[in-house]
Amino acid sequence: MSMFNRNEKETGTGAAVGEKPSDAPASVAAAPKPAQPVVQPVVQPAPEPAPVRSGNAGPSVISKALKITGQLESTEDIRIDGEVEGDIHGVSVTVGNGAKVKGSVYGQTVELSGTIEGKIEAKKVVLTSTAHMAGDVIHQDIKIESGAYIDGHCRPGTNKLDGKPAGKPN
Amino acid sequence: MGTAMSAAQARLLLKPPRAEGGTPLSASHLSQSLTVKGDLDSDGEVHIHGNVSGLVLVDRLVVEVGGSLDGDVVARDVHIEGRMTGRIFALNVTLESAAEVSGRIFHNTISVAKGARIDARMPWRPPSYFETLEQLPEVRQ
Repeated sequence: MSMFNRNEKETGTGAAVGEKPSDAPASVAAAPKPAQPVVQPVVQPAPEPAPVRSGNAGPSVISKALKITGQLESTEDIRIDGEVEGDIHGVSVTVGNGAKVKGSVYGQTVELSGTIEGKIEAKKVVLTSTAHMAGDVIHQDIKIESGAYIDGHCRPGTNKLDGKPAGKPN
Repeated sequence: MGTAMSAAQARLLLKPPRAEGGTPLSASHLSQSLTVKGDLDSDGEVHIHGNVSGLVLVDRLVVEVGGSLDGDVVARDVHIEGRMTGRIFALNVTLESAAEVSGRIFHNTISVAKGARIDARMPWRPPSYFETLEQLPEVRQ
């Protein structure tokens, strides 16, 4: 009976997982007294803490394997590596290399490394060397790297380009 | 359902199983502020933190806490911690305690945590039902 009690006490204090009762430092820290020949109770390994993910924060990522048919609207950043058929409204929209968008892209900042068939309307537009742009670009500030493909008009939009679809700028 | 989906092609709705040693496809994350009105189609994993309305055809779907989905889903695994309205067609369904689900849950295996709010019928189906699914059954009132 006493042994049983001692075991219970050991279970309560020895929170750490120790295979050897005397040698493991965690066990020593938990029980500062010299090791006594007790029967080590079977300690189940503590379940691993779930990986903390900042799930809600951060940008939306449309991965390479995903295809979306429809409209995307966000008040945060969007990164597209897959395929979207439809309009995209975001703050900062990044279309990665290999990604494809059929539709209009609206945002404060649009960075294109993939393909857009449609329109870009943004304050700041960056077309990288791998960009393929088939359609008009309405911008206030544009950067086009050597190698980018554009088939369409680039014109400065004097209207407010705040990510919302503007009227026809003429 | 989009018109492209209802085309006459005999296409299986459930994604083929991924090879064990194959490179894992990176997951898509639809953040809290993102609203998608349309269909999602992926061979990989999709996490919904925001709002989606439309048909979802993926390998694995996770509706996170705060996320919501309004529409039908066909997947191998469905894990719901948020809200979902519509029909689930999945081999493995997990409903966490924060889940709010209404509709129908066609499943092969299911687990429901205590606290989940479920207003749904849960018909069991053999795996072959999901693997040969080409068209979703009509919605009956």
